[in-house]
Amino acid sequence: MSKDKRVLGKVGMALLLVFFYAPILFMIIFSFNSSKSLTHFTGFSLRWYEAMLKNHGMMESLYVTIVIALLATIISTIIGTITAIGLSKSKKVLRAFISQVNDFPIMNPEIVTAIGLMLLFITFQIEKGFVTLLLAHIAFCIPYVILSIMPKIKSLDPNLADAAMDLGATPWQALVKVIVPQIMPGIVSGALIAFTMSFDDFVISYFVTGQGVKNLSIMVYTMSKRINPSVNAISTLVVLLITITLTIVNVLPMIRKKASPSKQNKPWKWAVAGVVVVGLVASLFGLNKSASTLPYAGQTLHLYNWGEYTGENIISGFEELTGAKVIMDNFDSNEQMYIKVANGDAYDVLVPSDYMIQRMMQEDMLQKLEPETRKECLSELMEAIKGLPYDPKNEYSIPYFWGTVGIVYDKTKVSEEDLENEGWNIFLDQKYKGDIYLYDSERDSFMMALKALGYSMNTTSADELNAAFNWLVQCVQTMDPEIVTDEIIDNMAQARKALGLIYSGDAAYVMSENENMGFYMPTSGTNLWSDAMVIPKNAKNPKLANEFIRYITSYDAAMDNSSYVGYTSPNKEVTEELGGEGGDYDGINAYTPRSGYDKDEVFQYDEATRKIIADLWSRVKVAASNAH
Amino acid sequence: MKKFQQLAIPYIVWACIMLLLPMLLIAFYSVIQQGNSIVHFKLTLDNYVRFFTDKDFLLILWRSLWIAIKTTIICLLIGYPIAYFISKNSPKIQQILVLAITLPTWINMLVRTYAWIGILSSDGIISSFLGLFGIHTELLYTEAAVLIGMVYNFLPFMILQINTALTKMDRSLLDAAQDLGANKFQTFWKVIFPLSLPGVVSGITLVFLPAVSSFFIPKLLGGGQFFLIGNVIENQFITVGEWNFGSAISMIMAMIMMLLMMLVRKLEERNKEEK
Amino acid sequence: MEQEKNKLIQFRHIVKEFDGQVVLKGIDLDIYENEFVTLLGPSGCGKTTLLRILGGFLEPSEGQVILNGEDICEVPAYKRELNTVFQKYALFPHMNVYDNIAFGLKIKKMSKDVIDQKVMKMLKLIGLEGFENKDVTLLSGGQQQRVAIARALVNEPSVLLLDEPLSALDLKLRKEMQYELKKIQQEVGITFIFVTHDQEEALTMSDKIVIMKDGEIQQVGSPEDIYNEPVNQYVAKFIGESNIIPARMICDKKVRFDDITFDCVDVGYKENEPVDVVIRPEDIDIVDVKDGKMTGEVESVLFKGVHYEIMVETVPGTHVTVNMHVNKNYAITSEDGKEKISANDFYLDLEDMKDIDDKEIIARADAQAWNPETDEFISIHDIDTDLKQEVGEYTVTFSTNNKTSITRKIWVVDQRVVENKKANEAVSAFNFFKTVDEIKESMAIDTDLKTWANAQGWKLDDENETVDLDVDYDFDPETITEGVYKVTFWTTGREFKIHTTDYVEEGKEVGLTFFAEDIHVMEKMGF
Repeated sequence: MSKDKRVLGKVGMALLLVFFYAPILFMIIFSFNSSKSLTHFTGFSLRWYEAMLKNHGMMESLYVTIVIALLATIISTIIGTITAIGLSKSKKVLRAFISQVNDFPIMNPEIVTAIGLMLLFITFQIEKGFVTLLLAHIAFCIPYVILSIMPKIKSLDPNLADAAMDLGATPWQALVKVIVPQIMPGIVSGALIAFTMSFDDFVISYFVTGQGVKNLSIMVYTMSKRINPSVNAISTLVVLLITITLTIVNVLPMIRKKASPSKQNKPWKWAVAGVVVVGLVASLFGLNKSASTLPYAGQTLHLYNWGEYTGENIISGFEELTGAKVIMDNFDSNEQMYIKVANGDAYDVLVPSDYMIQRMMQEDMLQKLEPETRKECLSELMEAIKGLPYDPKNEYSIPYFWGTVGIVYDKTKVSEEDLENEGWNIFLDQKYKGDIYLYDSERDSFMMALKALGYSMNTTSADELNAAFNWLVQCVQTMDPEIVTDEIIDNMAQARKALGLIYSGDAAYVMSENENMGFYMPTSGTNLWSDAMVIPKNAKNPKLANEFIRYITSYDAAMDNSSYVGYTSPNKEVTEELGGEGGDYDGINAYTPRSGYDKDEVFQYDEATRKIIADLWSRVKVAASNAH
Repeated sequence: MKKFQQLAIPYIVWACIMLLLPMLLIAFYSVIQQGNSIVHFKLTLDNYVRFFTDKDFLLILWRSLWIAIKTTIICLLIGYPIAYFISKNSPKIQQILVLAITLPTWINMLVRTYAWIGILSSDGIISSFLGLFGIHTELLYTEAAVLIGMVYNFLPFMILQINTALTKMDRSLLDAAQDLGANKFQTFWKVIFPLSLPGVVSGITLVFLPAVSSFFIPKLLGGGQFFLIGNVIENQFITVGEWNFGSAISMIMAMIMMLLMMLVRKLEERNKEEK
Repeated sequence: MEQEKNKLIQFRHIVKEFDGQVVLKGIDLDIYENEFVTLLGPSGCGKTTLLRILGGFLEPSEGQVILNGEDICEVPAYKRELNTVFQKYALFPHMNVYDNIAFGLKIKKMSKDVIDQKVMKMLKLIGLEGFENKDVTLLSGGQQQRVAIARALVNEPSVLLLDEPLSALDLKLRKEMQYELKKIQQEVGITFIFVTHDQEEALTMSDKIVIMKDGEIQQVGSPEDIYNEPVNQYVAKFIGESNIIPARMICDKKVRFDDITFDCVDVGYKENEPVDVVIRPEDIDIVDVKDGKMTGEVESVLFKGVHYEIMVETVPGTHVTVNMHVNKNYAITSEDGKEKISANDFYLDLEDMKDIDDKEIIARADAQAWNPETDEFISIHDIDTDLKQEVGEYTVTFSTNNKTSITRKIWVVDQRVVENKKANEAVSAFNFFKTVDEIKESMAIDTDLKTWANAQGWKLDDENETVDLDVDYDFDPETITEGVYKVTFWTTGREFKIHTTDYVEEGKEVGLTFFAEDIHVMEKMGF
């Protein structure tokens, strides 16, 4: 009977290990996939590693992760050790106080600690970035270090330090030569915990970082919306780094032991491991850096853009042209971008949407473009998107992409008749229950609802907004939709669902990937939008920002951007070429937006309405999650 | 030594600024109005009233707690037998197994969670496998996916805690129980299990705490329509920008956690007193 | 011995191996009803292993364990009618006193009032009435011990196994519990098997002692038997203090040691067989020199409370005396005053000549050169000597790079070894030269003297076995001046330890006497 149990246990254990390791294995395998799919292995290739190496945002996130983890570990271990020794000799009240305070990051949900630290940095106007990230990591690591050292100190003979000093050691020597070696196991395990915590941290880093400084977790989080197997590649690299580190840590002492039978000390091996890892990463970086004599060499452009919104070679092209380095941070909603910028995060170029530009202009957050930038860019633009209502003279903004919002649908599942008859109301049609995507944007969702109800999407009427809210609640409660952001692109390209609310540019990409997909703009009107490049007041390098805007508007860059991303370019020539006969998007109606239709509108900014919509949308989402 | 005492002073200052002050700030922001500054402000309880009068928010809170409870129970049901199995092996094998379980936790949580997206998606291996038997279910962007993600991330904590409690146990207690006539089953229920309870309790807290507040697992595996209390807070701070309301929710969550912790400690103490 | 009792437990050739290491080498042992049996031996002798095999926590590699006529090797621990009191009690920390004691009864699903009754009776037996709701972790060591005993006894086992149960208690409590355990055993009337490494404990409580060593039984017997008639040196040493003397059997009832033939009562040894003789300290009486079977000088007298412990030397030790030449501090200073050099004359043994080299000469002469201003040492560069491999007087000159030099003498001698056949030992030492300062600066003069004189003692029959030396000298190292001093190195000879209530002065010549039956002849231990 006990034999059976052992077998059962072994099987269970094996299953568990499969459960733990399968995703990692899966990740490694698919990092070598030749196609973008995360589900079908089509062949071996190293293209995602190439993409990863080219994308220095990714490489830098790895570097930041490791540097932060090492610095945080070293600093918090030193401070933690010193403090623990100090505390052991302190009054009881003080000890109790510190152990209470140290409990905050250990016992509180991480998100609470994260928000506390974020509020701290913002309240005292400390610019968020590398330093705040490091401070935060040190802050949450020290309590763990102290926690693991304290028991060791408590079990020490209290007369040890006195004995050392009796034999002529100074207090410092007593500390370093007698006490520290005694508590070394505690220090090492504390340092190990600190390193793991810091290396793995997402939540706290996510809230306290800024200026495009990302660690691996944040990078994965912001990139996870659209399938990007480069994430698998960099993850594989991390697995490799960890394996190498662990191997070194475990193998080196063996070699050392053979060489000299003297007592090995453990911190030594961690130090070596650390140095090796830094060396490895630094050498990876060395590949990407070269000295340059170009006009902007050594300068940095901080770009805050939508995720997956730049062509393959845009960033590297600009860097080669100017010698400057580009740090790009991604947002997935205008509001998210606004909050960060309003809280003092400094970027050089932002790419917000129309109404957000209007709002930022109203709030005096933007600076004017250089006149020649304006002149040079306007000459390249299509007439239809020059002087849009939010910035009639293009003094502040140059369009980046533009388009409409419509419905992407699977021609094999949805009849055109339904679309034409129902318009936006097709999102309430029970026929398609469980088969629709909504887009996680308060503006566009309310636009859809308002247009479906026949109202203006810029209405300020509380009744109309309420009616739209009810329309949306009905949708989420009866239709079982999935509320997504950029995931919709890949999912619709793979025809996972029948219908979805989508930006025309995304639809163009979807249609180019899957010919069964169609794009429809309801006759009740839609949102004519544009995302444009602006320079915020607190930009650190406006000159370089102007340079960037000129570069993006130029034919080559605009071509690369539009053909890769699929959104409609504001560059006249590019749009004509791509949408025209023989172009990449020939025959794809979504690429060339409908213009001049009287029911289509451009968003206007209104503070009161924005608040109402923001609140109502978050309640729609709450209602959606409660509907399950 | 008086001299050593002073070593703690820098940290005390640091802890006040970096650990205590942030908590006070959350508390402070939660009772002032949107747009107030720290110099000019008006105290209000509106943010709390708003949360507790909206049944949607309460429902989300409940759901977050419920999914955390489910995660914890699953982790316990899987984790205990595994930890027990590990503790039954020779020290050397134990060390290897514990290492095998710890190893994945060294790899970034986000990265490991991300890997599940491909596995769970509707044409991924699991669905394809189930499809062979004619079962067609959506896995990704469902509660099941979120549960899998949470169990995957937090199960190692549970196993390690229970395993430590089991291996620390005095072997002679087991001999004693057998000596007094208890068979293996009785020995387990009357001696081993009660003695491993402290490990179970700390395992539960280590799973429950992050599960309640997690927001990237639901976001990655549950999709945008899957909101837990952590997502509500993130949303308030990152997208909506209502910090005061967000702070209030954070406070509420912190309070609930504190109450639960106190309850657990009380229970443990009462258990002790009963003896 | 009450042989009519039933054999309760029989160990039949028990062998136990752990990872190829044989811990028990074929144990055969019978244990009878109502006995208090002690397994005695140092840690690692296998006594606990044997107990655990009986308890069912280990399976023997070979052999049988028979309880009440049945082989129980296949019976799991929880079905054996034995109970154990564990070394550190192994009380369940999550249960109170009552629940701990009731554990076994509850497992047997007895009715609640029966359990109640039995537990209360036990509490009364161990004197812990009113403690039933106490947390076991809060009890004192002695109380925990009693609870552990009660927890085992309440199941009414036919045998109680006790695995060093008293080792965690302090001395006073241990004595109390020894008495108490014996009392409990007599009261409940079952067999106790008790494991300990403490011989006093064993002697106090047991009906039968089993002495074990390296997985083998050395001797089984009543405490008196074992104490008075140890079978070998090992048992004699383990049980009580004793004088153990190598001896030879002349014939039956005649044994010879220290060149005297004594009457004894032992028979059955071969003629001239080498044996060991043990005489217990309390069996020897101190009498006048003329009345003694042996004579000797009183070496030391220690008061032990009830009696005196007196050491009498019957065979004198070996002595060797050497000359210590104490010289003035003598150092040569170089012309520029920047270097100093010093060295001593020394003696060398002819036998040591073959492996003498420059390093050795420097060490023997204690040659040093240094800078008087900075106290830094300067290496000695050159050694010039006419040393030859025959007895004689030679010179040696040490010099530094700068030609600062000093000349010293070396005497090569044939070393004198003092042999003492009777005591089976030899001692040797050298004359040596030292300066006043070296002697004054010595921190441990006895040890230094031995080193300087290269004094050594060893057994004649085994040169590798060293003999400890004592030192005698008649100077005061604090105030010593130049001159020649005698230093004597000596060994203690044959000493007898005697326990007596009569006081004797130290240094007095006395006679020793004992009865023929007090001489216990034992076989030599086999190796």
